[in-house]
This record gives sequence, structure tokens and C-alpha cells, in this order.
Amino acid sequence: MAVFTDTDELHRVMTDLWTAISNEKDMAAQLLSSRLIVTFHYREPDGRLTVDCSDGKEMVITVGDCNKKPVVEMFMKSSVAHDFWLGKVNVPLALIQGKIVSKGPVNKALALLPAIKPAYGLYPAVIEKNGLKVSIT
Amino acid sequence: MNPFVFHTPTRVYFGENSASSCGDFLRELGGTKVLMVADAFLEKSGALAPLIDSIKESTGIEPILFTDVPSDSDVDCVNKATVIARTSGCDALVAVGGGSVLDTAKVINICLTFGGEVLDYQGLNIIERKLLPLIAVPTTAGTGAEVSFVAMVKDHGESKKLMFGSRFLAPDVAILDPLMIVSLPAKLTAATGIDAVTHDIECYVASGTYSVFTDSLCLESLRLLFEFLPQATIDGDNLEARGATLVASCMAGVAFTNSGVGITHALAHAVGAKYATHHGMTNAVLLPHGMRFNFESVYPRYARIARFLDLAVEASNSIDGNSISSSDDRALAHLLLNKVEALLRQLKLPLNLRELGVPELTDENLAELVDLAGADPAIMFNPREASVEDLTQLLKRAY
Repeated sequence: MAVFTDTDELHRVMTDLWTAISNEKDMAAQLLSSRLIVTFHYREPDGRLTVDCSDGKEMVITVGDCNKKPVVEMFMKSSVAHDFWLGKVNVPLALIQGKIVSKGPVNKALALLPAIKPAYGLYPAVIEKNGLKVSIT
Repeated sequence: MNPFVFHTPTRVYFGENSASSCGDFLRELGGTKVLMVADAFLEKSGALAPLIDSIKESTGIEPILFTDVPSDSDVDCVNKATVIARTSGCDALVAVGGGSVLDTAKVINICLTFGGEVLDYQGLNIIERKLLPLIAVPTTAGTGAEVSFVAMVKDHGESKKLMFGSRFLAPDVAILDPLMIVSLPAKLTAATGIDAVTHDIECYVASGTYSVFTDSLCLESLRLLFEFLPQATIDGDNLEARGATLVASCMAGVAFTNSGVGITHALAHAVGAKYATHHGMTNAVLLPHGMRFNFESVYPRYARIARFLDLAVEASNSIDGNSISSSDDRALAHLLLNKVEALLRQLKLPLNLRELGVPELTDENLAELVDLAGADPAIMFNPREASVEDLTQLLKRAY
């Protein structure tokens, strides 16, 4: 069974999650200091989310089409994204297996992994708020 | 057993004079015009002659030579070669040289196959279909580039490296000919060989990505390297030793491209990017420090290597004659560390960053190196997470 029923649900959950991340001072500061624009492309269901940290002051989150040119693009199944935010994805293995595709300077994106780890703790509440009927253990 | 994926698309052909079969492989793979990317000194020394003759004989094709590859290749070199290949109508490549040449050929192959700019393809797993035929003939034994899925070249005028990773990047054929490396100087033989040792050891303990396939490759590769690398370094004409190091390096390449490396490589990439140090020599300096850093997390894995290499027996037969229990993982792991350090001394490789020519590490320089290492994809595969402070201390100790 798919984790997200449709694109709207996927976008809602990811927007809520990234909004929660942007409200976490320490995490947001590290992401903003990267000045990166990252676009996540999801499939099954399709979706797209862009996180723009380029001005270093405010994270701008856009779902769907976005005319900003990303520095890094990540492509994955929505279920992989869900598992990632639950802290259940071995990222090196997922990259080797081709479950995650990274376009652009991958080192810049990977450098942010330690910074976003605390977001694993935020995700269950986002899932619950959006009423997803999935296991979060 | 952990989940894993193991893939090795490259056909490996080993043997003395195997380079002279290059034409047969090319005929089989297809191609009407061939770009041969090679180190310039190989052309001057006549080492390319058997390959060119073989290609002419088997296919009737006169390869177009491109030898303007710097030791640390970059985007400009790739672009230049791609233009030559496109205008000449090349539809196959043969790469002859060290890691830089082989990586350059892989990236040329991307641009030649798909068109567009080099930067369009930077990243991991972007390339999703087969490239033009590529035959790789390594002239060093260490990088594993003849079988690996990754390629790195420098960006325009910058110290940072661009990374390209996809299983489709792996050459179709790797020709391992000991005669192609007999002229490799002792110091480079030692340094490139240590690169392979580092691949083996880091891959063997990589974070949740190693498998029984990569384990077996790493172990046998290490056995060959510990036995034959000193001989190949001392006596470059020893074809048995040269062949063994070539095969060992290739095995390590297959292993690490499936499972990753770790902190030693991350730091070596950083130091190399900033100070243009030789990759193998930098690994030589950093490997013992990387092993010590990971020791508590992975000593049972180090102990497995030590058991495979019979290091306890070796130790008990030494002058000191210390007896070590085969169940004492810590002691066995220490034996491996000692064995690595003894090999580095035997090979007369630099033992610290200062000897390597790295200038005094100021706080600013350290911070830059730590930033580079922390963002290096290799660090992801390290079995123990490294903080900024950890990386800083490790570099200071290595200095």
C-alpha cells in the first residue's frame, strides 16, 4: 500500500515537515548557511518540493512547479522519502542501490544530512496531524 | 545478513601481453572511430604501440590520440577531448593510464554519448542507460578506476572535484597487463598500491554496505597486496608481483565501488584538493589514523582480516614471539594496524602530512579541510560518525 494516497497529501505532509524544520532554530540556521536551493522530485505519487535557502535568512518552501533553479535535485519514490524521515533509510546503501538519485554537487546535499537528522523526531507528529494510516515505527 | 546490492559489469582480462588483445575486444564491442585517451608519457615511451597496432590489426581503425590529460584532470580537459571526439565522429573509447586518465575518459564518454555539458551529469545515478563502449587499460595498480562506477574531475579553475556516479560509468572491459606497469617508478608503485590497501580496509568496514561478495574480494586483495606490493616496489620488473598488485587493485575496485570507502578517503580527498598531494601517498599518511579513529566501532571486522591473513601466527613466529589468542578480537585488530604501519615503513612512504609537503596547518586551513572532508561523499560510508572536532584532531595527529 502506498504511503501517500495522492500528490496533495504528499505535498501537504512535506510542506508541514519543512515548515516545522524551518521553525527549529538550530536546524534552520545550518540549512540557511548552506545557501542551497534543493528540489525534491517524488514519484508514486508524483510530487515536487523546493526548499530555497539562498538568501541565508528565510527558508522558502514551494510545492509543485517552481521557477527557481535548484543547485541540487534529489529524485526518489515517495515511500523512500517517508522512510528517510522516519530514520529508516541507510542513505549510502540507497544511493548505491539507485533508490535515490542526486543531481548536482552531491557533496553539498550530503553535508546537510547530519544537520537534518533532528527532523526525524518531528516527522511522526506531522504524519499524525495529517491523519496518515501508516506505521511510524 | 544485511541487505546489499552487488554489481560488476566490467569484463576483466588479465595476462602478460593482454593489452595486445585490445583490438579484439573493440571489434566485439563495436565502434567505427576510436578516441584513445592516454598519458602523454606513454605515447613518448612507445608503450601505446601494442594497443594501437592491435586496434589497427583487428578493426582497421586508426585511433585518434588524446594525451593532453593533466595529472589532476579537469572539466576543460574533458571538454577539449569531447570536441575532438565529436568532430571526429568517435563512437568508442580506449583509456590507457592512471586513475586520472581513466576517470577523464569516463566523463568524456558521458558527454559523447548524451551530448550537453559536463555539469549536466554531475551527481549520483543520473545516467540511466548504457554509454558508448569503453576499454580501460590501467598503468598503475591502485585506483580501481578500470572497474569503478565513479569518476572525479576538477571543476574550472577550482580545487573542488566534481563527482559522477552511475553503474553505467564502469568500463566494458578492463585489460590488466602487467607489462603496462613495469615502468611505474617505485614510489608511485608503493603509493598507488596503498590506495588499493585503503580501498580494501575501508570497504571492509563500510557502514552497512559491505556484503559477502565485497568481503571476499577485500580479503584476497589484501592478501595479495601484503605479499606482493613490497616486491613490486623493490623490483619493478617482477611480473608476478606486478600482476598480483594489478589484480588486487582491480578486486579492491570492484569491492569499494559496490560498498564505499570512508574517513581516510574523505580526508585524503580534502588534503589533495587543497594541497595537490598525491592521492595514494595522502592515503598512506591518513590510513593508520582513520583505522584508529574507527577502531572501537569495527575492531571485530579488523580482527576478521587479521585472522584471514594469519597475523596471529605471524606474530607468534616473530622475534618477539608474542602469543595472541585467536579469539582476542582487539589484539588481532591491533595486529592488523601494526601490519599496515609496518608496510608503510617498508615502502618508505611519507608518514605524516608534513613529510607530504603540506604547509603548517593554521586554524583557517584546518577548518577548510574539515569542511571539505565533512562534505565528501566517502564520509557517509564511514562506520563511525565524525564530528568537526574529530576530523580536526585526526588531521592534527596526522600532521
